[in-house]
Amino acid sequence: MSQPSNFSRRHWLATLGKASAAGAVLMMAPSYARAAGGKVVVIGGGFGGATAAKYIKRRNPAIDVTLVEPAKTYYTCPFTNLYFGGLRTFEQQGHGYDELRAMGVKVVHDYASDINTRGKTVSLAGGDTLAYDKLLLSPGIDFRWNALEGYDEAAAERAPHAWKAGDQSVLLKKQLESMRDGGTFVMVAPANPFRCPPGPYERVSMVAHYLKQNKPKSKILVLDSKDAFSKQGLFQAGWDRFYGDLIEWVPMSKDGKVVRVDAANLSVESEFGEIHKADVLNVIPPQKAGVIAEKAGVTNESGWVPVKHQTFESERVADVYVVGDATVAAPMPKSGFSANAQAKVAAAAIVNALAAKPNAEPAFANTCYSLIAPDYGISVAHTYLLKEGKLAEASGGVSPADADDGFRKLEAEYGESWYKAIALDTWGTQA
Amino acid sequence: MRTATRVIGYGALLSALAGPGLAPAAAEQLVFDVTVLAAACANCHGTDGRSPGSIPSIAGRPESILNKQLQAFKSDTPPAGTTVMGRLTKGLSDEQIAALARHFSQIALSQPRQEASKQ
Repeated sequence: MSQPSNFSRRHWLATLGKASAAGAVLMMAPSYARAAGGKVVVIGGGFGGATAAKYIKRRNPAIDVTLVEPAKTYYTCPFTNLYFGGLRTFEQQGHGYDELRAMGVKVVHDYASDINTRGKTVSLAGGDTLAYDKLLLSPGIDFRWNALEGYDEAAAERAPHAWKAGDQSVLLKKQLESMRDGGTFVMVAPANPFRCPPGPYERVSMVAHYLKQNKPKSKILVLDSKDAFSKQGLFQAGWDRFYGDLIEWVPMSKDGKVVRVDAANLSVESEFGEIHKADVLNVIPPQKAGVIAEKAGVTNESGWVPVKHQTFESERVADVYVVGDATVAAPMPKSGFSANAQAKVAAAAIVNALAAKPNAEPAFANTCYSLIAPDYGISVAHTYLLKEGKLAEASGGVSPADADDGFRKLEAEYGESWYKAIALDTWGTQA
Repeated sequence: MRTATRVIGYGALLSALAGPGLAPAAAEQLVFDVTVLAAACANCHGTDGRSPGSIPSIAGRPESILNKQLQAFKSDTPPAGTTVMGRLTKGLSDEQIAALARHFSQIALSQPRQEASKQ
């Protein structure tokens, strides 16, 4: 007998429902295999890359995120100066990737050796190839070896740069510890732009703190390739107060520019031919974007990476986003804070693009704390906005020149708290 | 009528929020996403405003207090003991401050355990 039409209709609808659900699953299966939310590869596990991987996952856990970073423990440049000052151990600046893994980020400890932006693949030194829908590079800096005559990788083993945290930092610290009392620590400071604008001067402060405590007859000579530097007035007032004539800073206009390095003899030659002999020689050489950026074809003639500031997508290559020190993002400084802030903007842009949603208005800030002496910190803080598509300062400035000791102590404490917060925000690690 | 007013009001708020960051000539319409703005606070105040250090947590504090505090930082006479926040809030619009205050007031200060393991 025929079934009641109602039943039949319901049955048919139910069957159709099942069939189409099954059909949908079957049809979606291949794209699931290719990652339902899209596939993102992040190269570089520092402030920019780790933050980007984390915030992409937070915004859309369905996106397949792979982070490529050679090091199992990443050591930050920020706060490494305090290690030179004897205020922290080196290990305190180390961060692992367990928290990112727990969030579902695939962390691959390998070296990205090449990028094919047409085929959208990344080649790893270990032999694997990773496909991507969106690629994010946070390659940091590399050095222009021999741009400063006599300063190459071999010279750095004798006269460390310590401008990437790692073995170089440990080497410089050892040299400082074995230096005689009465010796001269010479720092060669670079022209702009370079990683961490206040970094050389915080390092000078921390080395001075160490020497004052341990080798008070020693001297620091800073030979600078520029005439002005970040938070200069605050640094120099702090140096006068705590270290007196232990520190001598020579600007470019007073023949501070070094043109030749003789690492074997630990000596340097200035533009006008003066030879300075060091007991410990710290050369911070000219820099450029990390080499993988060159291989991706995103750098310009300056060696840095021009990006669309609204999203931090490369101006040159589609679907490649670049954040951090490698980018041209002035007036934002090349800092870990900037890299973290830019990474969050790029993460939102990538997530929106993969979901075909409109872009969000970006937001940028940077705060750099520097420690001049224990309990004596200073800062520079800015917010930024887009003006005709380019980053511009919205507000900000440096700590007041006339602040009292309570203010400086508070900024020293906030600097330490900042480090804990950004480590947690970037790697999920306790610092 | 009420609904229409609200829609217009919301639209005006959105364009006010998008205002300073949007070039008049930009072809692309940007949307305001408070999580993007708020992410810039996490660098010092911790992810989602939960601070691991001496910088105060901002998650879970009452909206009116956060709003008042941000406005006080932004004013020409910031509260005693203000360090970077005076410099950082000068660039925020009243609408951005209101959105941030609401956003952080809605986040629980302590992270639920499951969520913690996910993050």
